[in-house]
Formats: sequence, structure tokens, C-alpha cells
Amino acid sequence: MSIISKLLSIIQENASEKELNWILSKSSSESKNILTAFVATPRFVSKKTVEFVLAEENISHSWTLDRLARVYLLLSFPTDSEEVYLKNINALFDTAEINEAVALYSALPYLAFPEKWIYRATEAVRSNIGLIFDSLAFRNTFPATYFTEAEWNQLVLKCIFNDKPIHLIQGLAERANQKLADTLSDFAHERWAAGRSVPAQVWRLVSHFLNEEILKDIEKLLQTDNSDNQIAAILVCKETTFEPAKALLIKYFSIINDLGEDNITWNKLEK
Amino acid sequence: MCQKHTEIAQNPSHFEGTAEELATATNVQVNFMDYIKDMKFFDPHIHMTSRTTDDYQALADAGVVAIIEPAFWLGQPRTGLSTFKDYYSSLIGWERFRSSQFGIKHYCTIGLNSREANNEALAEEVMEILPLYLYKEGVVGVGEIGFDDQTAAEEKYYRLQLELAKEAGLPVQVHTPHRDKKKGTERSMAIALEHGIDPQMVIIDHNNEETVKSVLDQGFYAAFTIYPFTKMGNERMVEVVKQYGSERIMINSAADWGISDPLAIPKTAALMKIKGISDHDIRLVTYQNAIDAFAQSGQINVEDFENPQEIDQSLKYNGNTILRGGQQPRVDKNALIIR
Repeated sequence: MSIISKLLSIIQENASEKELNWILSKSSSESKNILTAFVATPRFVSKKTVEFVLAEENISHSWTLDRLARVYLLLSFPTDSEEVYLKNINALFDTAEINEAVALYSALPYLAFPEKWIYRATEAVRSNIGLIFDSLAFRNTFPATYFTEAEWNQLVLKCIFNDKPIHLIQGLAERANQKLADTLSDFAHERWAAGRSVPAQVWRLVSHFLNEEILKDIEKLLQTDNSDNQIAAILVCKETTFEPAKALLIKYFSIINDLGEDNITWNKLEK
Repeated sequence: MCQKHTEIAQNPSHFEGTAEELATATNVQVNFMDYIKDMKFFDPHIHMTSRTTDDYQALADAGVVAIIEPAFWLGQPRTGLSTFKDYYSSLIGWERFRSSQFGIKHYCTIGLNSREANNEALAEEVMEILPLYLYKEGVVGVGEIGFDDQTAAEEKYYRLQLELAKEAGLPVQVHTPHRDKKKGTERSMAIALEHGIDPQMVIIDHNNEETVKSVLDQGFYAAFTIYPFTKMGNERMVEVVKQYGSERIMINSAADWGISDPLAIPKTAALMKIKGISDHDIRLVTYQNAIDAFAQSGQINVEDFENPQEIDQSLKYNGNTILRGGQQPRVDKNALIIR
């Protein structure tokens, strides 16, 4: 089943008959009407929260019904002319208020001509409107699929900088890289110098890019009084193939004992 | 919208008072929060684009729970369509978000202001994009529109925008001129009626004692813009409420880039309380009437600000603009901080 028919079945389960009829009549209408309907959606569709998972993504979404309807409308534009398609979607981006922008970014993974939306996606990373940033960064497969390494790293760093939960980023482990690990180490040094901290789970990004420099950070984490930091450091040492890290597991064995093996998981740090 | 200071002095859109009134005002200025505990306010005219985050904080602390930001003149003329577009987008985007960080629900009205209606070439282009914005969520009216110099071009675009409002089923927020105010106000109302617009859908703004009677008699909403501590305006506002009652009257701060006070409504409410106006009437002119007028747009859900969610600036918004340089976010005391 295609994404659009899956979205429709979720909408069918959650919308009233009146809402559903409105959505269906607009989505099957000409593009001009879809454009207007996208803007007017909250006038006709409620903001009831809908929880759903799309099987191929295996991501738990929690969207309002009007957001679902808007994404569905976006997927209803004819794709036979790329030029017209781009013009329509860009018109919506250019005049979007916050909830519209959220719907547009939520739809990015399913839009046609995906490479045409990369710049838009990087604009969401630049946004300081939390809801817009989150709609692209979290539970969204677009960045991992289409971002260059530099674009990806900017997304992850901005998340960390803003103390946002990076585990909600899709493809976090797959897109981890040496540059990101190095920058993260620098960032941690800045924070520490300022007497601030770094959320413990961010160290999951360095496991496969450990070197002598970053290992010093990991040892430092083990020496803090913070159990989250210690858990992160132990997990990095376990996951890495960088041999000198294994010595830390022996050196700090008592910490592992005190924490208890069961508590040493990234899940514990996902907050 | 206010104009340069000398023009305000010549053509106040507010009231001027006596020495005795000034003394009362000074007292209210220091202690006004004592009089308005547990009151909440709705400012239907304030230009937050021109204000700082300190003002947002002060509004929130004084009990202002929701505001309307009318589209207006930014102090100098715009030279192209894109700046209009970006301005309208900021009213439904960035400013709305900025406001939400302080727990204040932000609405706006969208329109081509009277001054810039005089640049006809640009005005034509702006008219084309207005419908794109009028149907957005949280756009509660067409405004502020009306007369400034009372030129033919101003009249033309006022009329065209009245038609847009009619088509969209939106209220109209009418700016009345600083100069030749009485005639300008009458003319604004006559034209609205001529276009078949229900006067209950029209908020005539910047009234004074000279204009209010006719506005109310004809069935329009009458809004008053108050600048309490530069001109001691709210004493006479109290007299207006005593004389005309609280029906269809609302007050606003119209705070902008000029000398103005975003706390005009809470301060005036305090003064009303001191002067013996009933809590019921205070609530109508500082809160409920504005909601009733603009909720006719279908875009105001009072649940959004009457039962607000806990504010946690650190949850949605961190880092680099409002909360700079490691500054501790100000968080609702009952909030569970989620990082």
C-alpha cells in the first residue's frame, strides 16, 4: 500500500464523516483548490491527536488530525508536471504560518522530486521556531536520506546545542561520522569550560570514531559524579573497536558494578 | 498606529489630564498590580514587532493573556512587495512564536495600512497577496485599514479591503485619522455601511469623546487607544466608561515604535477599579468585548488562553535568540523541566 493510501486509511479511522468528505472532495479537486484547502484545513478539520505508525518507517507519530489532512492534501497534487508541482508547493512554503510549515516539513519524505526540497529542509534546521525545527529534525526520514554530511552534522549539532533529544532524529547511528564526533568533542570542551554540561546521550555519536583525544573526554565522563555520564562512557567503551578504551572498562570496573549492568543502556539516557 | 511625537501632541488619539489626575496616576503606576490581581486582559491592538522581550514578560506578568497585532506602517515606507510579504509572514510566524514563549496567545489582523495605500503601484501588488494571508489560522480580521490623509487612493483601498473582509467573513479593524478625526471617522463608518457590512463586524479604533457617541449609536464597536503615563489618558477613559457604559467598548495600548505603553490595559483596569467601576464592566472593556468582536472570525478559541498549558521556554525554545548566552530560561514555577 502506498503512503498516500495508508494516510487515508488513518484519516478514515479518525475523522468524522463530514471531515472526511471535505478532505476527499478537496484532494480530488484541481490544484488551485488543493492550495486553498491546505490553508483552510483547520476551519474544517479538528485538531484531535492521532497516534499512528507507518510500517515502512517504524516511527511512532503523534499528529493532530488537521496536520494529517494537510499532509494528505500535499500528496494529492498531480506530479505530471514537475514545474507546476514545484510552483504549488513552493507557494505554500513561502507564505506558511507555523502549523502550515510543520505540515509541509512533515510531508517532505513523501513528496515527489525529493532532491528539490533539500534547501527547504536546511531552512528548517536554520529556523528558531522550535515547532518547525522539530518537524524536520524528529521522527522524519528526510534528513538522513538526503542531507550531505555537512548538512547532517549541522542538524545534529543544533539539536545538541539546544538541548533537544537527539534520539528522536531518524538515522542517527547510520549517519554518525568522524567530523561530527570531533566537533562534538570540541563542543563539550566549550561547555565544560563555561561550567555547563552536555546531555550524556550525545556521546553515542563517538563510539565508532574514538581516538586518543576523544578518549580523554570519555575518561573525564567516568570521573564525574554523574551516573548518566558514566553510563554513556561505559557504553562508548563497550561499543568501540578502539583498543585503548577497553582498558578503561577494567580500570573503572567498580563503577560498572555500582551502576548495575541492566542500567547501562542508551535508553536510560534518552531524555 | 501613532505618528511622530509633535503630531501626537497636536492630535492626541488619547486623553490629556489634570495635575490631580497625574498624582493619582503616579500612585497607580507604582502599585497598580495590587488592584488587578487575578484579572486577565486581552489587548486587541499592539505592535509587538516593535517591542522587546521585556515587554512580553511585563505583559505576561500583568495578566495579558492574548493580543492582536494589526498589520501597520513600520515607520518608513516599504519599497517592494517582498517586504510586505515578509512582514505579513512574520505576523503569522516568528512573532506568533515569540509571543508563545511568554505564554501569550498571539493573533493578528492583516491589511494594507492607509499611508501605504497612497503608493498605488505597490498597493495593487499588495492587494493581490492579501487573500493568501486572510484565510490563515489566527488571522482574526482585516486591519488596520482606513484613512490617514483621507486621499482618494486611501478610500479606494479601504473599499477594496472591506470587500475582502466581507468575502472572508472577517471583522474589520478601522484606523481613524489623527487629523480631521471626526470627519474621517464618520466617513469610515459611512463607507462600511455602504458596502453592506454589519456594524457589529467593524471595530472603529482610536476613538475619543468626540467620536464615541456616533460610533456606538450606529452599532459599531468603539476601541480606545490609551497612553497613560505620557498623557495621563486613562482618567478620562474611566469617565467615558462611566458615561457610556461597557457595551461594545474596548481599550487597547496600540503600543508600537513610538512613545507608548504596552501595559496600558492593566494600568487602566487598575484605575477603573480605584475609581469604582465594577469588575464586570472592567472585564468587558479590557477583555471580553474584544474577544466577542474578533471571535466573529471563527479564529479565536478561548480555551487556548483561558486554560493555558504550562509554559516551559526550555522545552520548545532554547539557545540562540531570546534565551541568550546561558541565560536561565524563565519557566513556569509549577512546570516540570524537560531537557
